[in-house]
Amino acid sequence: IQDDHKLSASELEEKYGTSVNKGLSSARAAEILARDGPNSLTPPKATPEIVKFLKQMVGGFSILLWIGAVFSWISFGIQFAQGAESPFDNLYLGVVLAVVVILTGIFAYYQEAKSTNIMASFSKMIPQQALVIRDAEKKELSADQLVVGDIVEIKGGDRIPADIRLIFTQGCKVDNSSLTGESEPQSRSCDFTHENPLETKNVAFYSTTCVEGTATGIVINTGDRTIIGRIASLASGVGHEKTPIAIEIEHFVYLVAGVAISIGVLFFIISVSMRYKILDSIIFLIGIIVANVPEGLLATVTVSLSLTAKRMAKKNCLVKNLEAVETLGSTSIICSDKTGTLTQNRMTVAHLWFDNQIYSADTSEDQTTQPFDQSSPSWTALSKIVTLCNRAEFRPGQENLPIMKRVVVGDASETALLKFAEVILGNVMNIREQNKKVAEIPFNSTNKFQLSIHETDDPNDKRFLLVMKGAPERILERCSTIMINGKEEPLDSEKAAAFQTAYMELGGMGERVLGFCHLYLPENEFPDTYPFDTDSMNFPTSNMCFVGLLSMIDPPRSTVPDAVSKCRSAGIKVIMVTGDHPITAKAIAKSVGIISATSETVEDIAKRLNIPVEQVNRREATAAVINGMELKDMSLQQLDEILCNHSEIVFARTSPQQKLIIVEGCQRQGAVVAVTGDGVNDSPALKKADIGIAMGIAGSDAAKNAADMVLLDDNFASIVTGVEEGRLIFDNLKKTIAYTLTKNIAELCPFLIYIITSIPMPIGTITILFIDLGTDIIPSVALAYEKAESDIMNRRPRNKMKDRLVNEQLAVYSYLQIGIIQSVGAFITYFTVYAEQGFLPSTLLGVRVNWENNAINDFEDSYGQEWTKYQRMYLQWTGYTAFFVSITIQQVADLIIRKTRRNSIFQQGLFRNKVIWVGIFSQIGIALILTYGLGHATALNFTPLRFQYWFVAVPFAILIWAYDEVRKLFIRRYPGSWWDKNMYY
Amino acid sequence: ENKHEEKVQDPDRREDETKAEMGRKTWADLAGEMKMFLWNPEDRTCLGRTAKSWGLILLFYFVFYTCLAGMFAFCMYVMLLTLSPYTPTYRDRVFPPGVMIRPYLNGFTIAFNVSQPSTWQPYVDSMHHFLAAYDDKVQEERNIECVSGQYFIQGGNESEEKKACQFKRSLLQNCSGIEDPTFGYSKGQPCILLQMTRGQKKNRIIGYRPGAGVPVSVDCKVQKGNESDLRSVDFYPGNGTFDLMYYPYYGKITHVNYTSPLVAMHFTDVKKNYLVPIQCSLNGKGIINNVNSDRFLGRIIFALSIGK
Repeated sequence: IQDDHKLSASELEEKYGTSVNKGLSSARAAEILARDGPNSLTPPKATPEIVKFLKQMVGGFSILLWIGAVFSWISFGIQFAQGAESPFDNLYLGVVLAVVVILTGIFAYYQEAKSTNIMASFSKMIPQQALVIRDAEKKELSADQLVVGDIVEIKGGDRIPADIRLIFTQGCKVDNSSLTGESEPQSRSCDFTHENPLETKNVAFYSTTCVEGTATGIVINTGDRTIIGRIASLASGVGHEKTPIAIEIEHFVYLVAGVAISIGVLFFIISVSMRYKILDSIIFLIGIIVANVPEGLLATVTVSLSLTAKRMAKKNCLVKNLEAVETLGSTSIICSDKTGTLTQNRMTVAHLWFDNQIYSADTSEDQTTQPFDQSSPSWTALSKIVTLCNRAEFRPGQENLPIMKRVVVGDASETALLKFAEVILGNVMNIREQNKKVAEIPFNSTNKFQLSIHETDDPNDKRFLLVMKGAPERILERCSTIMINGKEEPLDSEKAAAFQTAYMELGGMGERVLGFCHLYLPENEFPDTYPFDTDSMNFPTSNMCFVGLLSMIDPPRSTVPDAVSKCRSAGIKVIMVTGDHPITAKAIAKSVGIISATSETVEDIAKRLNIPVEQVNRREATAAVINGMELKDMSLQQLDEILCNHSEIVFARTSPQQKLIIVEGCQRQGAVVAVTGDGVNDSPALKKADIGIAMGIAGSDAAKNAADMVLLDDNFASIVTGVEEGRLIFDNLKKTIAYTLTKNIAELCPFLIYIITSIPMPIGTITILFIDLGTDIIPSVALAYEKAESDIMNRRPRNKMKDRLVNEQLAVYSYLQIGIIQSVGAFITYFTVYAEQGFLPSTLLGVRVNWENNAINDFEDSYGQEWTKYQRMYLQWTGYTAFFVSITIQQVADLIIRKTRRNSIFQQGLFRNKVIWVGIFSQIGIALILTYGLGHATALNFTPLRFQYWFVAVPFAILIWAYDEVRKLFIRRYPGSWWDKNMYY
Repeated sequence: ENKHEEKVQDPDRREDETKAEMGRKTWADLAGEMKMFLWNPEDRTCLGRTAKSWGLILLFYFVFYTCLAGMFAFCMYVMLLTLSPYTPTYRDRVFPPGVMIRPYLNGFTIAFNVSQPSTWQPYVDSMHHFLAAYDDKVQEERNIECVSGQYFIQGGNESEEKKACQFKRSLLQNCSGIEDPTFGYSKGQPCILLQMTRGQKKNRIIGYRPGAGVPVSVDCKVQKGNESDLRSVDFYPGNGTFDLMYYPYYGKITHVNYTSPLVAMHFTDVKKNYLVPIQCSLNGKGIINNVNSDRFLGRIIFALSIGK
């Protein structure tokens, strides 16, 4: 803990060996730079690329395939040593498996890298410059060259280049929002005002911005030792949990690997006990592993996720970590910032009070007119004060932009008033020119008003107009009359009471209220040449005429209320966490629906029933507004109680650390928590959250680094579209996996039957790879384009404990029902091919040993024909091709049925998802190329197949479709029935 | 520490906590869970299902698989109905014919020492065994004599039994094993029998007719190496041809006693004490004997190694 803020300037000079006027010498600065290092934050430690790459190589199913490859090479080695006839088959198989693993690994790595690169472009910072005094000269230096003891000068608009103890200030205000989340600019001075260095006014912090004024200060901390640097390192200390989809995929990989290994080992034992050679048994084991592992699936999942990520990027959600795509879908609590996310992040005039009446103004983002009644002469007077008593100005050269988008020089309230006036009156600058300003007192915190004196635009009226705005009660103090319908009336107690009511009402809405008054200075006392002096105040500032009130608020974005209600129907709790005042927070929460119109807080109930807060039954209150101060004194248990018992919660005046506590509290409820944030101070919470969402426009780099997702438009509504996409992809991944798993059985059965009944091998390992990585890839990606079956935003978020991606029903239905039908269909084709060539099914049983014997070249078939080994092999490959074609044909049916899980295909529409058809055509196209395109080259074990064999499995494809329609019909007809429970996945 | 205490204080919350800590289970927890999964005495469930539930699901799968098996059987039955019992639907894959040799014991290298009868006796036994079916007596009993030099085409109904032509062992002359029961092995001049594989080519009525009117003949040469290693080979019968009368073949069911014709090769002068690789090929119209992938199509490669 430093106490630099308590030291005087001279003590500081001494401590840092510097001089306020001359600064450090270059040599000394170089020394310190060498000691402390550059003034920049150490970037978070990135995983080395090679580690990332290797992780892809061993993740998921890769291990199983590596084992398969190694087994292949071992058996090649043994066979080669024994001098067997064709040992190279196993060598090739091993190589193919290794290539498959490496290619899918490279693919996954590439996908991952692509999404990281998008982010990298974000964090590129423009090198910052700082104005430093060194060697008694002012120099522009790159900010990272700053060292402790440097004297820097800052002016409005600059980013503070390091932690600075201020020694000279002039109207300096800083925006600490990136540090504390408070959007209100804070004034800075040289005075030591608080024990806590974070609260004292004479320190400005690294990465905050100077909004206005100028200041000079001594650098007291640089780089990672700055406050921001310490928070950033705190963020890197927060562990990142596995994403829900990663857990699901892991679960699925374990499941499939478990099935693969247990079947593999079981049949290894069976084949050994059936007196197969160990070597043969190992080769069977490889085949079983390859058949069981959906080689292409993880790549497909990655592609599906990145497709969704792309779709989300179009909707302004930029996903940094692909898996976060789905996390958003399972989100059950969103902890949202207020400023900028729920609101527009700009003050806007919301209400007016004149003529004893409250008018509301349009606060939408793209207002062009204001609908309230502007006929009253009071409004004319008020508008004049609003226009004239205002120092804000539009930057020149923006005439073609809509008013709301123009950049303004000035503080937030004045900007709001300027834009408000411009919208209603048009060309404010022109009006100001016609009413020349002769004197002005800017706003300051002691007198709490702003005043200016103008000539009038009426050439016949030689009076000066004094206009004043400020804190309403201060303004009222100075008034003796009040304008009603354009007429000045004495300000009696009744009118004062009306003012009070209006003021309270507007204040109660969480709005910042300003009072406006004016005074026409009598012509005789203040002639044209009167020398106005703002220091001696040689003009009246009392007995003025009160004109009206204007109240401003940072209004909610117009899309937010709708988005919040969508969240509500989607079962997502929205919690507002803000550094703002509770009243403002509550008002915004009410206007966007985070606190619904009918619900009450404990305080509301107390007020309604007129009883003390303590007597209220806390369970009756659905809403809660919790102050940061209260939160500080709460135990974890109390926090949990609040999170549990209230459905509508607002946390106001919270500090960054408290945000982290809130997130942890939500996670303790088992919720998947999304957190939005923009400041550096948010980064620990962003990191802790299941999905951290940083703001793209307002967000700091640290926040973007810590987040999983960046909202390009800073809009809460974009999160909701993201949720929708996330839920859809979860459903669609389910379909993809169901589709992919099905044919694994059709690939596995041949091996099992081959081992048990010793028929010629129905399908080869290489052929299986052609299905898994060839024909099936595009269709399974196509399922990612499937539309939702019902309104996915009307159901609750999935329960991460219960709603698994791959559940028992999915596995059982795919493996034991559709998969078995596919196998039967494929075996019919297999037997047909052999029978029509002369081998009746009965002849095939038990022929394996002789069939595969290279020396037997007069193998007799059912008709007495004799076959050479090669002729048999060729027939076997024809069998592979036929089996392959049959699986492909039945996978078309499988693809169609997987479009829906509950609805009939006819409800979903067969042609709505065009990509499915691309998938089907690609599937058949690839199969045609493999079958006929290679001619008689049999390196890949494909042979040109007689055309009619393509249709043998068609009845089974139709059966699959019909059966699945029946399944879905029963599920829809009898919800909750035995059928529904066992057949719905 | 604090957190832990709270957990103990509040049992309701404790359950939630454990749920949240799913990822951090110990082995004992896992074992307990596994046991519970295998048999849960409270709900009386085994593997997560009650007896009734198991009964229903097993019944379902019994019905499901029975139906599927029925469909499989039906499809197979229909498929088999379309097949002719006499000729295969397609005969493109067994054409053109391949070649096999006898004796065939365990490989295509015939190696023996003349002076050691035990090295060639197995070959001789194998030959005798193989030629038993070709004994003149057996042939005369079973088969008819046919007209040499022309195809033995038998019309009539497809299902009618077909006659087979005699192929008498004696046709093989020096290699018949009648005069020399050792088939020349004892003299270092081994006989090897060559057989053409059977196939039923062309249309259903008439099977494969090798040579298209001209008998297929056999010749042998050294496969790789010095031509002079193989100085003379005698072929029986008729200079090593497969007589046309043995064709076509009408299939196992109707052509019951069909006897495959043979060509005997008598290697009378082969380089001794040396592994001589020999390729014997079929020659004739429609015969293919130069496909790289199939080394038994229209030719056969074997090695002779005759020691003293």
